[in-house]
Amino acid sequence: MWDVLIINPMVNLLLGIYSVLGHNFGLAIIVFTILIRLVTHPLTVSQLKGTQKMQEMQTSKKWQELQKKYKDDKQKLQQEQLKLYQEMGINPMSSCLPTVIQFPIMIGLYQAIMRALAVTPGQLLDLSRHIYPFINSAALIPLNNRFLWMDLSQPDRLFIPGISIGIPILAILVVITTYFQSKMMTPPSANPGDSSSQMAQTMNLTMPLFMGYISYLYSSGLALYFVVGNLIYIAQYAAMGKLNWQNVIPGFLKNSAKEVAPKKEASLKKK
Amino acid sequence: MKTKHLIISIIILAGLLSACSGAAFTPSGWPGLTADQNTAYLASAQFVYAVDLSNGSQKWRFPEKASSSVTFYSDPGVTPDKQIIVGSYDKILYSLNTDGKQTWTNKGNDHFIAGPLIMDQAIYAPNADKNLYAYDLKGNLLWQFKTNGPIWAMPATDKACGCLYVASMDHFIYSISTQNGSQNWKTDLGSALTGTPAVGTDGKLYDGNYNSEMIGLNASDGKINWRTPLKGRTWSGPAVDGDRIYFGDLNGNFYALQTSDGKILWQIQADGGIFGTPLVTKDTIYFATEAGSVYAVDKTGKVVWNLPVGGKIYTAPVSSGDMILVAPTGEQAALIALNTGGTQRWSFTPPK
Repeated sequence: MWDVLIINPMVNLLLGIYSVLGHNFGLAIIVFTILIRLVTHPLTVSQLKGTQKMQEMQTSKKWQELQKKYKDDKQKLQQEQLKLYQEMGINPMSSCLPTVIQFPIMIGLYQAIMRALAVTPGQLLDLSRHIYPFINSAALIPLNNRFLWMDLSQPDRLFIPGISIGIPILAILVVITTYFQSKMMTPPSANPGDSSSQMAQTMNLTMPLFMGYISYLYSSGLALYFVVGNLIYIAQYAAMGKLNWQNVIPGFLKNSAKEVAPKKEASLKKK
Repeated sequence: MKTKHLIISIIILAGLLSACSGAAFTPSGWPGLTADQNTAYLASAQFVYAVDLSNGSQKWRFPEKASSSVTFYSDPGVTPDKQIIVGSYDKILYSLNTDGKQTWTNKGNDHFIAGPLIMDQAIYAPNADKNLYAYDLKGNLLWQFKTNGPIWAMPATDKACGCLYVASMDHFIYSISTQNGSQNWKTDLGSALTGTPAVGTDGKLYDGNYNSEMIGLNASDGKINWRTPLKGRTWSGPAVDGDRIYFGDLNGNFYALQTSDGKILWQIQADGGIFGTPLVTKDTIYFATEAGSVYAVDKTGKVVWNLPVGGKIYTAPVSSGDMILVAPTGEQAALIALNTGGTQRWSFTPPK
């Protein structure tokens, strides 16, 4: 069932894009990522709305009162918070549901990449049995697994003369882009000390490291998907006007306010 | 979501990624098999086994202890001075002596998927790094020939012309000199080639491609004489027998073709995909299927016997004296010896 619903469509879509893009598998992964992000865009919007609602709730009087009342009883606090979610019609999972849905896509895409690249006889045999009849696989196989400096079937390592170890460029880019994505998409917290805020901070640190670790170990095709996916995510949020630059550039809003104030003053004086 | 739930989710994801497909590369192939008069050499997963043909007992195995980074899936070769040459997925070509001790190694840049061709005083080892390496019997590199795709097929030879024929995954078949690896000609067969070309005594070459075709060419200049469409893809090259070639496809069809024009003389349907080159004797053709059966067919296409031995058989059957050897996967027995009448003589199960 997993193969029929997830892997086979992904493999064949990758092969189709590959055949159109001049047999460039790196570009095929990039285009595939863009398509996935477009398809899951409604989920991204839903995630943003969910996050906004939670933010509003966390600035409400009721929420503040709960924090004060049960500050020494975490369990009771969580129970009361859940009740409040229900009262206000907020699903606490809605802010992380899109992330969770990305998991099977991530796993499926990794399997699809490794299946499509088919670097062993067993893998080629397996691939042959999952290609749709209307795909002209005879002309495509074997796929060109080179993209820039990378072998997409292997973990990325860039070897520079004079340096004995390979540098995992993509893994580093994954860490950086995941960090920036997490920071820019986290709305400012009304209560920096509360549990939600602390969890967000933890996630902003652990997720980039975890994704970087995965990228270090696994094929560079997967890491390429992560980097491109993160950049598209940031672009989606920017297009919706929801990027939180202050999290990345501390004092961003204050500085902007200072620049605006003198300009306003100057324009008022002229009048 | 609590922090600990998040961490648990992350660990589960890491496990799923690993469990579903392992790390960046997972060895994936089937056993390699060769035999001389007394010993069968079986390259299977983490070991190369030497098996006594008289009774199916293990003589030795290499290496002594398993290593996760070393796996063998290609046919071993035996040199005139009794070295056993075998390539591994850890990119190394090993030479072993008759006691199973390593004598020398050579490194490629990628997996050794196909077995080496041993001819006279040279070893020709194809590698997935797109190169065919030529070594002397001491392991010194003589020359190397580069194609544009991984080489998954043992080269074929025509001693009369001093030529090697190399089938590459880059869709081309090459004719090169055994002396220095210089190219005589190359021909595009239209799709990936995984099978060793068969060389006829009539100056012709035959090979199947990934596009479900069997193709006949001139060995002298690579000109294509005929293309015969098949019902399924082929994996290994055909076996030549006079004016005919025999081979199977991955859909279980077994064919006899006329070499002069590629006309299908007869074909039969077996119970599973046929991966290995068939074994042709004076009166009988033997082949094995993915369904775990061994077939004996006469030269009119009539099935003489069909013996299910179990497992999946991708490796070509090998003969030694009056025995037929097959190497199933997914079974306890890694090597089975059959009499030509279709009964089992012995089986070899690797010790744990």
